[in-house]
Amino acid sequence: MAFPNMLYGRVLKSPHAHARVRSIDVSKAEKMGAVTITPDEIPDVTYCPRLVSVPEATYKDWKVLADKPHYVGEAIGAVAAESEEEAQKALEAIEVEYDVLGASFDAFDAMKPGAEQVHDEIYLKDDLLKVENNIGCQLSITEGDPIALEEADVVIERTYRTNRRYHNQLETKSVVVRPEADGGISVWSTTQTIHNTRLLLHDIYGIPMGKIRVYKVALGGSFGSSIHVNPVVTIAVALALKSRRPVKLSYTREEDIRDHCAYQMIFKLKLGANKNGMLAGGRLEAYLDIGAHQIQAYPLLGCIVGWWVSLYKLPYKDYVGKAVYTNKVPSCAFRGYGNPQISWVVETMMDELAGKIDIDPLDFRLKNYIGEGDLFWGQGPSVKSIIQSCGVEEILTKGAEMVDWYNRPNPEEQTGRYRRGWGVGRGYHTSSAGAPVPSSIVDFGGAILKMNEDGTFDYISALMDHGCGTQEAHVKIIAEELQVPVNKVNIIRGDTGTTVYDVCTHASRGVYSGGGAALKVAMKVQEQIRSFAGRILDAYPHAVRIRYDEETDQTIIFAEGIEGREVSYREIAETARHKNWGTVASVESYRQPSCPPHFTGYFVNVEVDTWTGKVKLLRVVAGADIGTVINPLLAAGQVHGGFAQGWSMTTLEDMPYDPIDGDLVNRGSIANYKVPTTQDLLDVDDLTVFFADTYEPTGPFGAKGIGEGALNPVAGTVANAIQNALGVRFFQLPITPIRILEALKEKEE
Amino acid sequence: MKIEITVNGRKRQFDVEPNKLLLNLVRDELHLTGTKYGCGIGECGACTVHLDGEAVLACMVLAVDADGKQVDTIEGVAEDGNLDPVQEAFIEEGAIQCGFCTPGFIMTTKALLKENPNPTEHEIREYLKGNYCRCTGYVNIINAVQSAAKKLQS
Ligand code: FES
Ligand code: FES
Repeated sequence: MAFPNMLYGRVLKSPHAHARVRSIDVSKAEKMGAVTITPDEIPDVTYCPRLVSVPEATYKDWKVLADKPHYVGEAIGAVAAESEEEAQKALEAIEVEYDVLGASFDAFDAMKPGAEQVHDEIYLKDDLLKVENNIGCQLSITEGDPIALEEADVVIERTYRTNRRYHNQLETKSVVVRPEADGGISVWSTTQTIHNTRLLLHDIYGIPMGKIRVYKVALGGSFGSSIHVNPVVTIAVALALKSRRPVKLSYTREEDIRDHCAYQMIFKLKLGANKNGMLAGGRLEAYLDIGAHQIQAYPLLGCIVGWWVSLYKLPYKDYVGKAVYTNKVPSCAFRGYGNPQISWVVETMMDELAGKIDIDPLDFRLKNYIGEGDLFWGQGPSVKSIIQSCGVEEILTKGAEMVDWYNRPNPEEQTGRYRRGWGVGRGYHTSSAGAPVPSSIVDFGGAILKMNEDGTFDYISALMDHGCGTQEAHVKIIAEELQVPVNKVNIIRGDTGTTVYDVCTHASRGVYSGGGAALKVAMKVQEQIRSFAGRILDAYPHAVRIRYDEETDQTIIFAEGIEGREVSYREIAETARHKNWGTVASVESYRQPSCPPHFTGYFVNVEVDTWTGKVKLLRVVAGADIGTVINPLLAAGQVHGGFAQGWSMTTLEDMPYDPIDGDLVNRGSIANYKVPTTQDLLDVDDLTVFFADTYEPTGPFGAKGIGEGALNPVAGTVANAIQNALGVRFFQLPITPIRILEALKEKEE
Repeated sequence: MKIEITVNGRKRQFDVEPNKLLLNLVRDELHLTGTKYGCGIGECGACTVHLDGEAVLACMVLAVDADGKQVDTIEGVAEDGNLDPVQEAFIEEGAIQCGFCTPGFIMTTKALLKENPNPTEHEIREYLKGNYCRCTGYVNIINAVQSAAKKLQS
C-alpha cells in the first residue's frame, strides 16, 4: 500500500534485555529531515494491547514507547522519513544512553527471591498492583476429593517443558496510517480485529472513535499474532499524528521474529488411574514464561486448566497456574492458545498411564473422553456449556481400523537401525467462546446484509479472514439460506465505520460464531423478501416457497400450486424501489449460546533412524469432527496446515536466548529458525484426512470450527509414535535428533 | 544508474542506485505488489519472479543486474483477463489459504512446468523446496501443481 506524500517509519529498539533510558538525543536525526518520536511525546497511558477480555480480567503493562525497555527489541523511539533508507540512517544517528539493569531469561530464575523485577507495578483494570517475584498473574482451581488421586492404583508425576516458537506468518507486521483533515486517522494494518484496534487507539490517543477508521486488509497469515494490536500500529499512529503525513511502517523479518512468539510453558503434571481403566484425578502446575509483557496471560491461565480438564473426565482436579515475567520477547496466542502444549503433555501421559495399568492406549482414551452431554469448559472456568455433538468415538474407531491399530509393533521388539512406530493422540478446541451466560471473555459478532436493486446481495462484516476461507464459508451460509448461487453474494470489505462490532477472528470462531451472525442476517433478509413477495403475489409471506431457477439464473418466490403466482428476487428488488417500499436489509449482532468443541484424533506412523536420530513421517491418518463440513477443500487444508505446524512444533522449532546479551541465539534470522519445507513432510497419498459424520445443533447448518483443533493433537501423537518405535519418552520439546540420540544412549547405559 | 527492463512485456527505463534490489524496484516503484517480501535473505521464495524466463528470488537480485532483461511478475501471468492454468489450478485445489506465498509458488511452478511438463511428486517437492508456506502444509499446493501439469498438457 502506498499514498502520495507518504513517509516511511523505522523503530528504535533497545539492544539491552533490561535497561533504563537515561537520555535520547534525536537532534542529528531531525537535522537529517526525519520526524522523530520519543517516550515523553506519547500520551502516558499504560494499556493491554489485547481487548478480548472484560476490564476486570485485563492486566496492563504496555506503553507505546518504553523508557525502561524490558527485552531486546522493545521500542523506545521511532523516526519517519522520505524513504526507508533515509529513515534507517536517521535512526542510526539517534544517540541513546542506557543504565543497564539485571535480567532473567528463565521463569524459575525470575521467581527466585532477589531476582531483578521486570515490572515493579502493573495495572489490573485501573487498579495499581505490585508485582512480586515476577509473577504477573496467577489462577488456581480445585474440584473434587483429593482422596481419588491419593488412592489411585497408579499415579505418575512428571515435568514437561515446551519450546518457544515463532509464528513465522509469511507477512511481517505492517501498517499504514493516514492522518485525516478532521483530526482523525485511517489505519490499514495487520490485524485480526479492526474494532479492537480502534478501541485501543481511542484509549491511547483520545481520538473520538468515529474519527478512527480501521480498514480490513488481506492478511498474510497470523495464527494468533495479531489478536492484540501489534506495536507497529500504535507507533505508526504517533508518527503520523506528529508528521501530519501518511506513514508506512513494516517490520523486517529480523524485527518480526523479535516482536512476538508463542507461550513457552513448563508443566508439572500428576495423573492417577485405577486398574478398571478409569482416570482418578490429577494435579497440574503450569508455569508460563510469558516474556516481558502480558498480552493475554491471565485468560490463558484459565484456558490451560480448561484445555487440561476437557479432554478426559477427572473426578478430582487441582490446578495452579502462574504467568512469569522474563526479559524476553512478549508471548501471545499461537494457533491453539496453549492447547497444543497441554495436549502434548496429557496425551503423552495417557499413553504412559495406559501402559502402567495394562490397557491399550486407544481403549483407555475411549473409556475416559469427555463427549456428548458432558459439561465442557475448554475456554476456561468462566465459559461453560454442554456438548451437543461429538465424533470422538467415530474418529478413534475408524482411524484404528484404517491403520490396523491393534497390530502395531511392540517397542521392545525392535532392534535394527531403523525403527518404526505408530502413535495415537487426541485433540480438540472450542469453536468460539460462546456460552449461555456472560463470561470474562467478550465473544459476539455482527453482520450487515442488503439486497441490491438487481436481486444480488452485499454482505458486510468486520470479521477478518486470515486465510481460513472464513468469509467464503459465510457466503455459502447466506447463499444456502437465501437459495442463491454463491456468486450472488458479494463480500464488501468494510472498515470500523461501515461495519458493526466483531470481537476478533480467533478461538476458531470464524465459521461457527461469525457464520452464526451471517445466518441470522440472512434469515432476517429472507423474512423481508417473503413479506415483499407476499404483497406482490397477494400471498401469505410464511406460505410462499423459494427455489433457484437455473435457466433464468434467478431465485423465485412462489405460491405452490397456484399458477402465475411467482416472482423473482430481481423483480422484488425492482418493485420495492419503484414503489418506494425501501431496501431489503438487515443488521444484526449475534452471540453464540455455546462453545462446542471440534474434535480431532490423529494416527501417525514414523521411522526413526537410530544412527542419526532423524524422524521420518511415513503415514498420517487424521480424523476431525467439525460438524457439517462447509468448505471441504479448505477444511482439509486446515488439517494439512495444522498437521505441518504441529510436526514442526514437535521436531523442529525453538528459540533459545543468549544469556550474555539477552538476544535470540538465532539472531533474528529465519535461516536459523527452520520450519518444514516441501521436502520435510510426507507424500500427499500418505496423508489421509477424514471427517466424522456429526451435526452441531447450535452451529450454522450444523457447522463447528477446525482451525486450532487441527494442530492440537499433533505433538502428543508424534511423541507417542516415537515412543512406540524406540521405547523412549521425551519430556521436552522439540524432539530433535540430538535429544533422540542422547536418550538412546542413556537407555543403552 | 540508468537501466532498461522489460516488465511484463513492456519496456521501462529506470534510474536506480547500484544497491537497489529488484524486489524493491518491482514493489515500490512499479507498484507490482503481488511480489512479496517475506524475508529479504533468500529463505522464503515469496519474492519469486522470472528473469528472462527463469525463476529467481527478487530479493537476491540487484535491479542493475536485470538491465536489458525481461522481468515477469505474477501480475503478468493472466492473459486477456483469463487466469493462467496454474492460477486456476491453485484456486480449484484449495492451494491458497492466506495467499501470501501464492504468487511465489505460481512463478516457481510455471518455471518447473516449462522445464519438466510432467513432474513426479518427488520432483515437484524438490523444485519447490525454496518456497515456504506456513498455512497449507503443501498438500493442496502439490495437488495444484499436478493438476496444472495436466491442464497444460491437454
Ligand atoms: S523475500 Fe526473497 S526469498 Fe524471502
Ligand atoms: S497460504 Fe499462507 S503462507 Fe502459504
